[in-house]
Amino acid sequence: MRIVLLECKKVIMSPVIIGLFFLFTAFNLLVIFNSSDHKDELKIVNEIIDTYGREITPSSLELLKKDIQNDLLELEQLTGKRYDSVYDFLEGLDVEAYERYSDKEKTFITQLQLKEMYESTASSIDENYAKIDVEKLGHTSLEMYKISGPAAKTYLAENEKFAKRFDDMIQNEEHKEWFFAGKAYKMHTYLFNNIFLQMMIEILLLVVLSTAFLATYEFEQRSHLVAFSTRRGRKLMKDKLAASLATAVAISALVLGSTLGVFFMVFDYSHVWETSISSAFNWEYNFPNVAWWDITVGQFLLASIGVLFIGVLLISVLTFAISILIKNSYVTFFVVAAGFILLYMLPSFMPHSSNLLFVAGYTLPTLLMAISGLFMGSSGMIFFKNFEWVTIGVWTAITIIALFISFRRFAKLDIQ
Amino acid sequence: MRILWNEMKKILTWKSLLLLLIINCILYFFLIDFYIKHFPNGRPALDSYRIGIEMIEKYGTSMNDEEFQDFRKVYEARVEEADRYLQTEKVAVSEGIDTYAKFNSYDWSSASKEAGELRDRLFFEEGTDLFWELQERNRLIGFYDGKKMYPSDITPAQKQRYEELAKEGIFGTYPEVAIRNFQDYITNVAVAILFSVVAVISPMILEDRTRHVVPLQYTSKKGRNVLKTKLLASFLSTLLVITSLLVIYLSLYSLNDTSVYFNVRINSFIGNESWYNPTFLQYILFTIGGIYLVGIAFGLAAMGFSTIVPNTLTLLGVQIPFVAGFLIFALNRIITFPMNMWFPKWQMPVFYGLLLLSSMFFVWYVNRREKKMDITI
Repeated sequence: MRIVLLECKKVIMSPVIIGLFFLFTAFNLLVIFNSSDHKDELKIVNEIIDTYGREITPSSLELLKKDIQNDLLELEQLTGKRYDSVYDFLEGLDVEAYERYSDKEKTFITQLQLKEMYESTASSIDENYAKIDVEKLGHTSLEMYKISGPAAKTYLAENEKFAKRFDDMIQNEEHKEWFFAGKAYKMHTYLFNNIFLQMMIEILLLVVLSTAFLATYEFEQRSHLVAFSTRRGRKLMKDKLAASLATAVAISALVLGSTLGVFFMVFDYSHVWETSISSAFNWEYNFPNVAWWDITVGQFLLASIGVLFIGVLLISVLTFAISILIKNSYVTFFVVAAGFILLYMLPSFMPHSSNLLFVAGYTLPTLLMAISGLFMGSSGMIFFKNFEWVTIGVWTAITIIALFISFRRFAKLDIQ
Repeated sequence: MRILWNEMKKILTWKSLLLLLIINCILYFFLIDFYIKHFPNGRPALDSYRIGIEMIEKYGTSMNDEEFQDFRKVYEARVEEADRYLQTEKVAVSEGIDTYAKFNSYDWSSASKEAGELRDRLFFEEGTDLFWELQERNRLIGFYDGKKMYPSDITPAQKQRYEELAKEGIFGTYPEVAIRNFQDYITNVAVAILFSVVAVISPMILEDRTRHVVPLQYTSKKGRNVLKTKLLASFLSTLLVITSLLVIYLSLYSLNDTSVYFNVRINSFIGNESWYNPTFLQYILFTIGGIYLVGIAFGLAAMGFSTIVPNTLTLLGVQIPFVAGFLIFALNRIITFPMNMWFPKWQMPVFYGLLLLSSMFFVWYVNRREKKMDITI
């Protein structure tokens, strides 16, 4: 145990790792603060959920409409004119006239504007979802990606399952829950794509560096003749592996903790944790985000963090296995980086008519780079229901085999 | 001389060449391939490219109003051709789109099914380039008509430059596909070269130390001066790597066949108002110079770090923020759009200057440090 701790210390106390960690965190915070202009506008959702409940029912929507009408009456007193919508009022307003209102009145107008926006989106949910024909969209995307043959068959079969799930989802009314307006703020993409991707790359850089460093330390510092002739001997590698995994967990936890901590302090998610991730407000681009399961935003976040941890640990073990074979941390770093990108690009080398096209997508890099689309049936080429667990299962097996092979080799290695 | 040669052999081992190959192959497919394989990228980019060539062959590398009048005439002739074509289409006549003008102003969002099919056929199936071409010519004419307009929220320096260009009669007239493609292409090439240089140059000097070769070298006649030779060897290797990669990537670029555009001045491309006005070829050469500069600066920095860091963890870790910072904040400003008017005029020379000076200073410092350093084992 003491050896493991001392091995961890080599990395944790290294000024480079500490420096990079602070630099990365500072960069993440900079990105978060730079795009936090709309953080106050998001709070309206909390108010709506507090007043009208999380679920959008006809009666609660009616209540919201009534309140908007009351607000419009207030607007009438303010402006002396009757408007059907605050947007009509704003349209005829120039900047100077707007500036004449007091701050309180301005907030009132903005609030009303936001309420109307949410109300109109909520009222048109049924209409918009009725327009979606999942099976037809499947054919369109086949054309778009130029997929044919057996691959097309696989795609359509899965798409049919998704169409069923889509109908179920509508039946359960999972989409009728309040969330931040997707079209306006794109909070899902922002958190799970931009911020998570950024954190993922940072964590992977730190973890690959530290794992390769630990695994090759004795050889690079020329202390291998001493270290491997002690009583602990070659079993030292097991301690090193444990230390690598421990530091990987520590690094991931620190980066995630600091960045996400600040993120949720800036953006108030406190009321929307329980909202379904398939909410109609989580509709950002051409197609709404629809998950295969009925999961909430909070569960989605936890699952994403879980995938991140598993992925980072697997990459750490793979790096360790490669380090033992190469015995040079510098080369290992580039080999891992190259392998990562290569696996990520794998589907683009596959013929578009064969099922290999989809098989090639079941890779660790694809999984880790697509956090925002995980568990979703609306995520293009990786929309398969079994994508996450099969990928993790297969890559755990591959990792264990790789580790086994390299440990076996190391056991017989001629150390000189 | 012999030591220099041997040091270079230590940098350019078969292992590091293999690494170079892997890095470049992967980055080629990841970043660069697209701009070769898909140039011009679909329609109407292809028509844009063709019309540009036609313009250059017919009117030379700059156009005055008279020449543009001729260009308009060609457009009108083509429109008549399209009119005749549409009149032969039954669907077009029955839908009331029997002339190109009507075809263009037709409300396609509420089009009938037949009209939609007709449009798809005209554009995608029939193998005529006419309608794509008209669309593109129309766009070019639109730009020419609006040539004297410029954005209102600009700095005085930018305004002055706009007026200067207008006075000299330089406007964005030629289609921008060629230069946009070059800018995208060369940016990604710069990324590949930057990674290659850093990866190849970084390890050697550090490796000597971790192998405990340095104390031995100190006892030789050359003594501490051996570092200078190593730095020189690294520098020559940097040049070698940059040059050979550039030769490969530029020969790949020649597949795009943009040489017709080489004599057009960059301000004459649409949406490309710049502080300077070199020809496209001169611009390409300038960018290549820029890549050399960036490559040398990062090569020098890599040598410097290699001399002072204790292990590869630090060697890589220290360089990550510099490379990432360059990619995020500077690449766009000094490689993709070095002369563009969106950025202040002073920015590009200052960035290049800072980059080169700071890395040169770093190597100078490392070298001086070596002269005074205590030798401890």
